Amino acid sequence: MLVQLTDIQLGKLFPAYLLLDTNFQLAGFGPSIRKLLPGLQIGHAFDEYFDVISNDVATVFDIPERPNHPIEIASKCGNMRLHGLAAQQPDGYFLALRHVTTSQYLASQQLELTDFGYADPEIQAIMLIAVQRAMLEEAQDTALELAFERQRYSALLERTSRVSGYLAHDFNNLLSIISLNTERLARAPSTDGKITNLAQIIGDTAARGSEISQSLMALSHQSSETLSALSIDDIINENSAFLKTVVGSKVGLSITLHSGSCKAVVSYNGLLNCVINLLINAREAMPDGGHISLATTVRDGLATKIDDGAKLSPCKYIAIEIADTGSGMNEALLSRAFEPLFSSKPNGTGLGLASVREYAIDMGGDVWLESTPGEGTRVFLHFPIATDAMIRPDDPSVQDQSFDADQNERSILLVEDEPYALEALVEMLEMEGYFVTPCLSAAQALEALETRSYRVLLTDIVMPQQDGAELASKACIAQPGIRVILMSGYVPETAALQSGWMFIRKPLASSELLGLVDKLM
Amino acid sequence: MYGMIHRGIRNMVQDKLGEDAWFALEKKIGIGPTELLTGMVYDDTLTLEIVSEAAARLNLTVDECLFEFGRYWIDYASRGSLSSAMELTGHDLASFISNLDRLHLSVGMAMPGSRLPNFNLALSEPGFLKVEYHSQRTGLENFVSGLLYGLIERFGLIGDVSIADSTAGKVVFEIRYKDGHA
Ligand code: HEM
Repeated sequence: MLVQLTDIQLGKLFPAYLLLDTNFQLAGFGPSIRKLLPGLQIGHAFDEYFDVISNDVATVFDIPERPNHPIEIASKCGNMRLHGLAAQQPDGYFLALRHVTTSQYLASQQLELTDFGYADPEIQAIMLIAVQRAMLEEAQDTALELAFERQRYSALLERTSRVSGYLAHDFNNLLSIISLNTERLARAPSTDGKITNLAQIIGDTAARGSEISQSLMALSHQSSETLSALSIDDIINENSAFLKTVVGSKVGLSITLHSGSCKAVVSYNGLLNCVINLLINAREAMPDGGHISLATTVRDGLATKIDDGAKLSPCKYIAIEIADTGSGMNEALLSRAFEPLFSSKPNGTGLGLASVREYAIDMGGDVWLESTPGEGTRVFLHFPIATDAMIRPDDPSVQDQSFDADQNERSILLVEDEPYALEALVEMLEMEGYFVTPCLSAAQALEALETRSYRVLLTDIVMPQQDGAELASKACIAQPGIRVILMSGYVPETAALQSGWMFIRKPLASSELLGLVDKLM
Repeated sequence: MYGMIHRGIRNMVQDKLGEDAWFALEKKIGIGPTELLTGMVYDDTLTLEIVSEAAARLNLTVDECLFEFGRYWIDYASRGSLSSAMELTGHDLASFISNLDRLHLSVGMAMPGSRLPNFNLALSEPGFLKVEYHSQRTGLENFVSGLLYGLIERFGLIGDVSIADSTAGKVVFEIRYKDGHA
């Protein structure tokens, strides 16, 4: 079948075509050739303007010998490089040529779409790639924008949670006053059953208020757990049966506890959650079963690996070590293991290790991993031991001999800027046989510290002028044997707390407070 | 329209009025980064809502804003990764316009579901072009005028664009131009 095309149609299909007569003289050319070689004219010899690359003209045009053979030519002035097929015609040759499409060539020759045939797939692909690249770049920008948006959102959330934290603090203070005084009312000897009943109603209502403030605290991510010096061995022992169920039936768990009666200031559930998280991780590293060993020891040295030099000082710490016999992790996984939302497991949330680290650091400790691919992973979780003064009886030399020994043993310096709360606390503690020095401010308390020694400093944290944590630091310098209990409706920044100090959350439940004070006496 | 167009509008507002103006616009019509995803197709009503809100802030009518956005789009596409596609489309006004369909052919391949226009260079004389625009959409004539005006600027020319005829599905534009250096 013979197809008849006009020059214009031919030019649209092959903008860089060439027509040669049998003497290899130019008989016609496409618009792209005309544009790029304006001096070219019909009748000019082909080889005056073009070189055939890696072949000579005679061979290339020996078409009966080499049908469908590709041909590549370049203009002698160097501005054009074309390739295609040569076809023999009765009166010469038709060269169906197109520009090569290397990006360098495209850019240097200022070519445009009209230099390529309408159906040229290669140029279409080049355009497509350019559009896709732009889309990809925009998608990357969008990913950054979304990440930024997330940050803005979490900053907003943080602000909101801080506000709800403040609200909870004030609310808890008020509830504390109400419940402490209600307890006073209930304790007062009275024959009037109505008063007892009313005290009960107020007490119950305050308890409901406390639940509301708990939700506020949860909203503000405030832990409502009490921090106190606890034996980690005891916590693990008490829960060993449960921990064994956590690791599942395919995995063996051996527990070796050697930190004995040493205590660290932690929260009971917080510590337990850490251990459970680490056991779950170890179990998941061994889908086909294996063994986990959980051990505690007491060590001396740096409790943390955090690299901020000057701040670190060696101390005694409790080391919890959890080792599995799983597949282990390579360097890349290890380095990311503590990132929030990073998980190497298909269903992992990536929150486990991140929350363990957050907790450990909050408690003044640290956690890290060591792993050898093929041999398993070991997790080290460290908590500084509560200062001796918190656990051992006081050094008698620091005690003021001018006071009666029993009075000294049971002496409490109580600091609370809310007079009604102070009054109720004094009454409650005195009823239990403690000797209480009440103060309405840190300044008053510092004066009291100069006149005698105390067994316990029980202080509110948020107070005008000087806060409880600052007062406690000064009290510990003035009287190194003093034991500190901080109380607040707002969970303090743990950075402000020293290891060994205890913390109790408001609203105060008298039984919890008395239990804590009793432990320290 | 595709999110890529929304991002173009956003950049125009940011360039002309600053980042805060865009945030205010987002807040006003309740959109955010999720309405600016390059490869997502959004309902045209959202696109128009963004344009109308941008117009109000730029103190322009919607038609004026569409024109400005058309102009801006040419400049926007000439920067960054789209620039190579724009370069290949043509080095003079007439060949650029005659290759627009080929440009959009690649766009259509990369963006399935896009409803792209057709342009036909019906007449090309020195200093004068007649361009036919076919679209499944209506109401975008001012956008096209702005785009064509942007092209005049892109090639260093001076001139103007007018609508010669408008029937259902086809609008005819006339471009009169001369060399900007002359
Ligand atoms: C690299 C450059 C370009 C890209 C990536 C591009 C991409 C797009 C996209 C994504 C749409 C929306 C389609 C949809 O969502 O349904 C569109 C529409 C449109 N484009 Fe382009 N475009 C480019 C250049 C141009 C130029 C230079 C013109 C110039 C005259 C133009 C004229 C139009 C018009 C008029 C519409 C509106 C669609 C309609 O009428 O229905 N575009 N383009």
